[in-house]
Amino acid sequence: MSKPFLQIRGIRKEYGPVTAVQDVNLDVAQGEFLTFLGPSGSGKSTTLYILAGFEDPTGGDILLNGESLLSTPSHKRNIGMVFQRYTLFPHLSVGENIAFPLKVRRLPKAEIDAKVRQMLKLVRLEGFEDRKPAQMSGGQQQRVALARALAYDPPVLLMDEPLSALDKKLREEIQHEIRRIHQQTEVTILYVTHDQEEALRLSDRIAVFSKGVIDQIGTGPELYANPATRFVAEFIGDSDFLPCNVVSAGNGRAEIAICETMTVADIPLHGTASSGSKAALMLRPERLLLSKRQSESGLPVTVSDITFLGNNVHVATKTSKGNNLSVRLPFGHEAISGLNRGDAVWLKFDAESAHVFGQ
Amino acid sequence: MVSHTETDSGRAYAPTRVRRLTDFELTLPALVLLVLFFVVPVVILLMRSVTEPVPGLGNYVELLGSSTYLRIFTNTFLVSGLVTVVSLLIGFPVAWALAVMPGRAASIVFAILLLSMWTNLLARTYAWMVLLQRTGVINKVLIGLGLIDKPLPLVNNLTGVTIGMTYIMLPFIILPLYGVIKKIDPAILQAAALCGANRWQSLVRVLLPLAVPGMAAGALMVFVMSLGYFVTPALLGGTANMMLAELIAQFVQSLVNWGMGGAAALVLLVVTLALYAVQLRFFGTDRMGGR
Amino acid sequence: MLLNLNRLGWWKLVLFGITVLTTAFLLLPILFIAALSFGSSQWLIFPPPSWTLRWYQELFADPRWLASAWTSFQIAIIVTVLSVLLGLATSFGLTRGRFAFREGLKALFLTPMILPVVVLAVALYAFFLKIGLNGTLTGFVISHLVLALPFSILSIGNALEGFDKSIEDAAVLCGASPLEAKVRVTLPAISHGIFSAAIFSFLTSWDEVVVAIFMSSPTLQTLPVKVWATLRQDLTPVVAAASTLLILLTVLLMVLVAVVRKGLKS
Ligand SMILES: Nc1ncnc2c1ncn2[C@@H]1O[C@H](COP(=O)(O)OP(=O)(O)OP(=O)(O)O)[C@@H](O)[C@H]1O
Ligand SMILES: [Mg+2]
Repeated sequence: MSKPFLQIRGIRKEYGPVTAVQDVNLDVAQGEFLTFLGPSGSGKSTTLYILAGFEDPTGGDILLNGESLLSTPSHKRNIGMVFQRYTLFPHLSVGENIAFPLKVRRLPKAEIDAKVRQMLKLVRLEGFEDRKPAQMSGGQQQRVALARALAYDPPVLLMDEPLSALDKKLREEIQHEIRRIHQQTEVTILYVTHDQEEALRLSDRIAVFSKGVIDQIGTGPELYANPATRFVAEFIGDSDFLPCNVVSAGNGRAEIAICETMTVADIPLHGTASSGSKAALMLRPERLLLSKRQSESGLPVTVSDITFLGNNVHVATKTSKGNNLSVRLPFGHEAISGLNRGDAVWLKFDAESAHVFGQ
Repeated sequence: MVSHTETDSGRAYAPTRVRRLTDFELTLPALVLLVLFFVVPVVILLMRSVTEPVPGLGNYVELLGSSTYLRIFTNTFLVSGLVTVVSLLIGFPVAWALAVMPGRAASIVFAILLLSMWTNLLARTYAWMVLLQRTGVINKVLIGLGLIDKPLPLVNNLTGVTIGMTYIMLPFIILPLYGVIKKIDPAILQAAALCGANRWQSLVRVLLPLAVPGMAAGALMVFVMSLGYFVTPALLGGTANMMLAELIAQFVQSLVNWGMGGAAALVLLVVTLALYAVQLRFFGTDRMGGR
Repeated sequence: MLLNLNRLGWWKLVLFGITVLTTAFLLLPILFIAALSFGSSQWLIFPPPSWTLRWYQELFADPRWLASAWTSFQIAIIVTVLSVLLGLATSFGLTRGRFAFREGLKALFLTPMILPVVVLAVALYAFFLKIGLNGTLTGFVISHLVLALPFSILSIGNALEGFDKSIEDAAVLCGASPLEAKVRVTLPAISHGIFSAAIFSFLTSWDEVVVAIFMSSPTLQTLPVKVWATLRQDLTPVVAAASTLLILLTVLLMVLVAVVRKGLKS
């Protein structure tokens, strides 16, 4: 990663008594694709709007190439943005929409025409320049919006859930387009979504938002393998949590006891925990091993449901304490054949694939 | 957007920004116009009712105590009520028919409704003055058909006013009623039929109750508009059958009695606003009227 | 059933019968006046003994008719321009603003529309007598503006409410200043509302009688006042000619509206 290109420093935003953004700090490298992922109301859009200049932060600063952006009004920031809703100018044709930022900048006509053609090619909509927005599908409109936002070569492109109004298949198609366009243009992108799959598919790094702060920043695999908080663990990938007792803790590792029958040592520990305290053990369905044979080192559970999900089979189980644990196995796995509801089975897991979250 | 000019830390980061007009400031020119040339004059007029010729409620005592003025109030409410009822009786079937008509036929009816609404009020009133006069077409046709022997007095009385005003108010009741009926899901009436209701029961038990809010809102609007109408009653009613708006004008123009004029204006104003309050309270719409 | 044309049975005939009669009732006076304006009878006998253009000649020969029409036109145009400009500013403030009393202010702006015009007419008459605006063009413009503004605020406000502010924000991020974004993006997008506001404002002023009766002076009167004054004397067919021209104007305006609406849609 090169030197910080865009720096967000302690940004805060309050609407009267409501704190939309508490304290957001972030360094973004040039050319990076960074996604804000988080539940509704966690402050993702507000952070983006502050970057765009539509909202003034209550505190903090934003630096682009080392210089503060905050005193620059929106229209001079030279930032591109694609919105959640369709924002093509309804009275202008597709070509005129893309030309708009260039006309505002008073570029010569020949240059504008060339750029419009280049942009239409980039988003693969050649031949559509005379259409009106109302004659285009939602996906096409968002592609034109992308072309319009990139036409003036902005250093940063903001995208606020641009695909949320589209159906799943179309969404995946345009995700590929966005990836390709990012690679082709090398523009820095800040992307907002609450769809983890979309975030994982698109981004170099993901910032997980929760209640106005960033809980963790990292690549998809980092967040998956090493969630810093229970919230991140819940948000990235599938997970189940079991209450457990801490036997001993230290050096970021813990030994724990579950269901009184079983102890496991050397599990990565997050948060604080001490001998005797209660904690939560996180397990991922796809990292659990299921066995029909009784074993001392396995956790005894009962099968409560089996669901066929195409290439996967989902086995829902219950511990003796009544906690639910899911197991995901590839279709045709020998452990599943002949398995029935109500069967007693034993689950095993690797200490490295589990996480303990203390207080 | 409200711009904060200072951050928490006290660092001002926006002073270089040109101060934009706030949203409230944008409404100021219109607000000044309205206060200066609407609120102030109306308030002054109403004040004069209790200050001229002498301070006190004398004007109101005279206005509400005399039988001459009482007859004018009766005329006003009578005509407005009649106009409302007749408009409603004619307007409901027309709105209903419009809602089920094929689009082409409906658009012709709409065009005629609009033409009638948009045509100059005086031109329309003039037409009725000519049509209704003793030697006018209506009397001629009636005599020609042998229905009457001598011409009916159709103008310069409340009959003329009622006909002319109904003509003017009809579009104002048909259009909102059409909107209400068009919004009713035909499936509801199919359901009523499946439940065993015959057409008459469907009408009385389902369609009418569903249309009642629209009818009430439209009727109230027509009634209120009629109460304050000036031009049509003045031209079709003749001098002997005055309505409230004419009385106000007469106090001011011929009698130059501002105290009584103000008092009559206040009465009209209070009734109008009270009825609008009822409408807002019970029907919650801000349906608008015309002149 | 009751809302299905094919299931109405004989009720359909009743409904359509009433509709046809009502439509005729609405249309006939207008056609009747147009026909009479070409009739030769001074006493407005119908059907007329013969046809003539005499009443139109008299109308155009009388400079007072032309003068009052010209006055009306001037006032209506000024009122239209001011009403649209004020309506724009006010609607932007009311639709986008988040200040206290916004709802109350909205209600205040719409009151002139529901108030009996005669009250406003008498009140403004008294007020203008005091400040010397009676019988002046300014007086006419101000009073008609008060009446027209609610229609303007309503039409433009509705259009603006249906317009997604994000589109304007997008234009700003594209590099247009806030004012430029409004002029180049928002105004074209709400042009149908602006157009309605202009038509309503023009008609409100052009057809207005009640305030005008009080506001006019022997030297300055509008067309409706001239018609009014003539009608109070006698039912001369010249008024039929004038009315027919007014009806013609209405038809032209309706055609214009239909054409512009179609143009704005595509
Ligand atoms: N103009 C405003 N006035 C008051 N509160 C606001 C305003 N805008 C946002 N908020 C509040 O700020 C918080 C953060 O909102 P924001 O739009 O940033 O969330 P988000 O993460 O983008 O959510 P979503 O996924 O639903 O878009 C929310 O609680 C919201 O209610
Ligand atoms: Mg959002």
